[in-house]
Amino acid sequence: MKLDNCDLAEGRCFAYCPRTQVDLETIHQKVFGQSYLNIDIGLFKQVKMARASAPILRQKAQTAGVVSALMNFALKEGVINGAVLTHRTADHLPRGRVIRSPDEILSCQGSSYVASPTLQALNQGPWEDTERIGVVGTPCQVLAMRKMSVSSLKRNTLMDRVTLIVGLFCTWALTYEPFMKYLKNRVNGAQIRKLDITPPPERLLKVLTDDDHMWDVPLDEIRPFIRTTCGICLDMTSELSDLSVGTVEGIQGWSTVITRSHLGEEILRRAEAAGIIESQPFPEENFKHLREASLLKKKRALLALKERGELENGYIILSRELIGRILSEAEEAGS
Amino acid sequence: MAFEKDPFNIIITGVGGQGNVLASQLLGQMLVQQGYMITIGETYGASQRGGSVMSHIRVSQRDQFSPLIPEGKCDLVVGLEPVEALRVLANYGNPGVLMLINTRPIYPIDVIAGNASYPELSILLKKIQRLSRNVWTLNATEIGLELGDPIFSNIVMLGALSVLDLLPLHREEFQKAIEELLPSHKLHLNMEAFERGREAVQKLPV
Amino acid sequence: MSILSKDSPGKKTLFMGNEAIARGAIEAGVQVCAAYPGNPSSEIIGSLSQVAEELGIYVEWSVNEKVAVEVAAAASFAGLRGLTAMKQNGLNVASDFLFNLNLTGSKGGLVIVVCDDPSALSSTNEEDSRPYAKMCDLPLLEPATVQEAKEMTRWAFDLSEELGLPCLIRSVTRLSHARGIAELGNMPKNRPNPRFDTSRPIIPQPVMLTHKALHDKIKKCQDRFEESAFNLYRGPERPELLVVTCGPGWMYVREALANMGAENRAGIVKLGTTWPLPGSFLMEHLKKANRILFVEEVDPFLENNIKEFCAQRAAELEVKTFLGKASGNLPDVGEINPDIVTGAIQQVLKVSYEPRPLQYTQEAAEAVSLFAPSRELGFCAGCPHRATYWSVKNALAMDGRDGILLGDIGCYALGVRPAGFGQMKTCHAMGSGIGLANGFGQLERFGLNQPVLTVCGDSTFYHAAIPALVNARYNRSNFLMLILDNSATAMTGFQPHPGTGRTAMGAEAPVVEIEGLCKALGAQVEVKNPFDVQDTTEAIYKLLQDREGIKVLILRQECALVRVKRQKALYKVRVNQEQCIGQECGCNRRCTRIFKCPGLAWDPVTGKAQIDEAICTGCGVCADICPQSAILKETI
Repeated sequence: MKLDNCDLAEGRCFAYCPRTQVDLETIHQKVFGQSYLNIDIGLFKQVKMARASAPILRQKAQTAGVVSALMNFALKEGVINGAVLTHRTADHLPRGRVIRSPDEILSCQGSSYVASPTLQALNQGPWEDTERIGVVGTPCQVLAMRKMSVSSLKRNTLMDRVTLIVGLFCTWALTYEPFMKYLKNRVNGAQIRKLDITPPPERLLKVLTDDDHMWDVPLDEIRPFIRTTCGICLDMTSELSDLSVGTVEGIQGWSTVITRSHLGEEILRRAEAAGIIESQPFPEENFKHLREASLLKKKRALLALKERGELENGYIILSRELIGRILSEAEEAGS
Repeated sequence: MAFEKDPFNIIITGVGGQGNVLASQLLGQMLVQQGYMITIGETYGASQRGGSVMSHIRVSQRDQFSPLIPEGKCDLVVGLEPVEALRVLANYGNPGVLMLINTRPIYPIDVIAGNASYPELSILLKKIQRLSRNVWTLNATEIGLELGDPIFSNIVMLGALSVLDLLPLHREEFQKAIEELLPSHKLHLNMEAFERGREAVQKLPV
Repeated sequence: MSILSKDSPGKKTLFMGNEAIARGAIEAGVQVCAAYPGNPSSEIIGSLSQVAEELGIYVEWSVNEKVAVEVAAAASFAGLRGLTAMKQNGLNVASDFLFNLNLTGSKGGLVIVVCDDPSALSSTNEEDSRPYAKMCDLPLLEPATVQEAKEMTRWAFDLSEELGLPCLIRSVTRLSHARGIAELGNMPKNRPNPRFDTSRPIIPQPVMLTHKALHDKIKKCQDRFEESAFNLYRGPERPELLVVTCGPGWMYVREALANMGAENRAGIVKLGTTWPLPGSFLMEHLKKANRILFVEEVDPFLENNIKEFCAQRAAELEVKTFLGKASGNLPDVGEINPDIVTGAIQQVLKVSYEPRPLQYTQEAAEAVSLFAPSRELGFCAGCPHRATYWSVKNALAMDGRDGILLGDIGCYALGVRPAGFGQMKTCHAMGSGIGLANGFGQLERFGLNQPVLTVCGDSTFYHAAIPALVNARYNRSNFLMLILDNSATAMTGFQPHPGTGRTAMGAEAPVVEIEGLCKALGAQVEVKNPFDVQDTTEAIYKLLQDREGIKVLILRQECALVRVKRQKALYKVRVNQEQCIGQECGCNRRCTRIFKCPGLAWDPVTGKAQIDEAICTGCGVCADICPQSAILKETI
């Protein structure tokens, strides 16, 4: 794909895109100082169940307000001076937004399951030279940021100022226009207040409209709007972030939190100590489900790549050995 | 005044928006006032949007000539822009052509965009010198800017031309022509531009 | 004080060809003048509008050429003298009326001036208008000099009145835009009052009778032409070669023969009345030589007609060799010039002629190719069209279905070039954009998935777009129409139109609102400011998703050249030199390499972008395209 007849031999668009030339091993080494070994849910220090202590943070939150609480805390403590979160319009169109005050975080709660150009806000800022920035993103966005920080084309990428990356779990994302058009029609034109995808075995898109009506839309109806790129994504739990947050299967009101880096672990610990976050140990049963779900996504992605003839020479560099391990562990976890 | 050739052929060339047409009109008017037979051919239209503009001026005491100068028959080039002055030599130049050039470049859009390069002025002028008999230069745009608007550069060039004694282009004729063609309140500044051109022109050393 | 209205008979002045035509009409006592702007004809009615009030005549800019001819014809039907002028394409637009007008005839002198643009120096096509005269059986005059332009026009009114037929005058760029000396004649004395004789309807029926009557008129015209001083012969009694020419060819041929020293070898037949042919005059001179070379602009009109004439009168003539476009002695496309003519005569007469040393020619050509960078046409700094095309480009890229943008005529026609990012994909006649959109907008039923868009200027809208819009509504075609309203007929010289609030004569005029018209026609209408690139891009994208009916997006922003006369800038724009990462910009200097506004320059020394304050008009659009947000705009 050529943008504007560009004649550059090496462009930043190509270098930073999460779907071009991903050398996972190199990136992982640069970020964590270790090889990529934990092929199920990525490198981690701890896995916990958590939720925001303050009810106000849980009210409009997608699940448990954990991300909001953590970012809030990080801003208050001065760990970061500004943050980039995703904000949605009344029509659920998402955009990145630069946040400087804890109050603004509330405006960025909730998910629309729609792909968002969040990193545009990181690029545009505006930022002061000495600001430390925190970013909340999906696995692909986190991957893009890590590619930015390891790229040899590194120029003013701001990654030297991004100190905290919170990754969200993600199975797939939807394309806004056709999805919204379909959904609006589906709910007879009512104003949509909240969207929620329930865990298996139900797997419904629950749509809450302004008239307090809850609609149940079978996921199969919205699968056509899943972005093609999600089919070749191998990262469900945001394996390259400082810490990752997602749902807990079968348990309402609590989130799964995975700490990966020293900073991620430290932030969670301090937030817990300050009473901002409540946490519990993560049940063994749920850990099994988590592994299984993550490996399943990887397996699907590998099969999709294989079908495209891009298993060996596709966008992501994976050794035969790694591919073999992923597939066999996915088999094992599934059975 | 009898001059070397009849017809005496002049090309005023520049970029759209430089006042090429007015300059040729004034020049023509000055000579018509003195009984010469003048034909002027213009090429403009889409050239307003950044393209080259040419006026061909045929000066004669015996006949009305065509609005286009034949190949190789130009006697004098008044270049409002350096590259344009060179450009017309491809079709109309000859070893005896005389050149009066405004040295301030106007960059083509591709040069502005960084996609092409504009020649270094001294090299350009040397090249022009090789392809002509004499070259005179001045920075007419600079003078125009001093007078308040770069558009005055075309009048400055006419002033410079009058000093070269190639044609009967005296101050009085110029004033008559300006009064004929432009509103009266513009007279003063235009006369000043004309004078400044007379003072500023210099012959390029070989 | 314009030379057009000066009452000084005998004074010799420099006139532009078009001005000479206007002056000829004034001297003939013209009272009603109407036209649509079109290069190279615009100055005819343009200069008349400047003196209209002073002279007590009526001058208007009509919405299109058909209406313009009808306005002038109305004056003629009422016994006044009327004039209309147009470029070659205008005659096409007016032709239906013309083919009826020839049969009904006219009353007061009616003159139709058509100015062709050989080589399409500022047109979309190349066309020779003269065949219309033959097709319609109307008198045709072709001036060769500026003086002739004035005299012929003046005479044409008398001729028209005598014959009861409109008279065609054909000019070309090299005459219309040339300046030469013409002598002022007398200003008109009395002018009649208009009256339409309702007892004598002006209709072409019964056609068998009127058509016959037309032929009789043309025969009478032919007699007049035999006596005309506009036709002449210059040269020896028995030349080796006879050159038959008209228009600017007359001057090219004379000069060519003089330069080659061949004046006693070739004779020139100059025709000023080129249809119908003055048979006896031709016969006399065609007998002088058996090799005949035709020199004329664009099509072999004289060439073919005279060959036809010779075939008819073959018994009286010896065998002739005809040379011209058919024989390949002259190019069959493009403008003629002194060098082409010289080359043709040189070839035929076998003259050796070198205008300058060959070495000089080679050296000059080489110098120019090395040291003279070409000047690509582009939009002016601050032109709203650049912003519009940028938004179209982005919206179509986001949409991803390979949208088709159908184009039309005006400054925005530069949209086919890099200046407009190559967005415009078709360009034909006035209103063809929306015409084609009507058709493309019906092809979805056959599987066309590409969204259809069309772009149309404000002046073009009034000229030709409205009927097509009605058609689209009625036949339910699906497309997005972008109306680029810059409040000007910019390309041709900023003549007023129904949207600008002023008439040709400077009076205030009611504004015919585009939104209102489109809404009344049932279109979905939105208005945006093209300088607001984000907003415009989103609007275009959104409207493209709508698969039902016609959507009209009016992009309203004043033409930069008009705006800067009043106020300098909307914003103060500058490039933050620290923020600009120059050559390392990820998109490879997207701002200068692609966007290409002359106010935004690339400084090769610093390796960064700069605003050229002398050129920048402060529209602020570039501030929105920089991926680094390095271009800043402050409201003034």
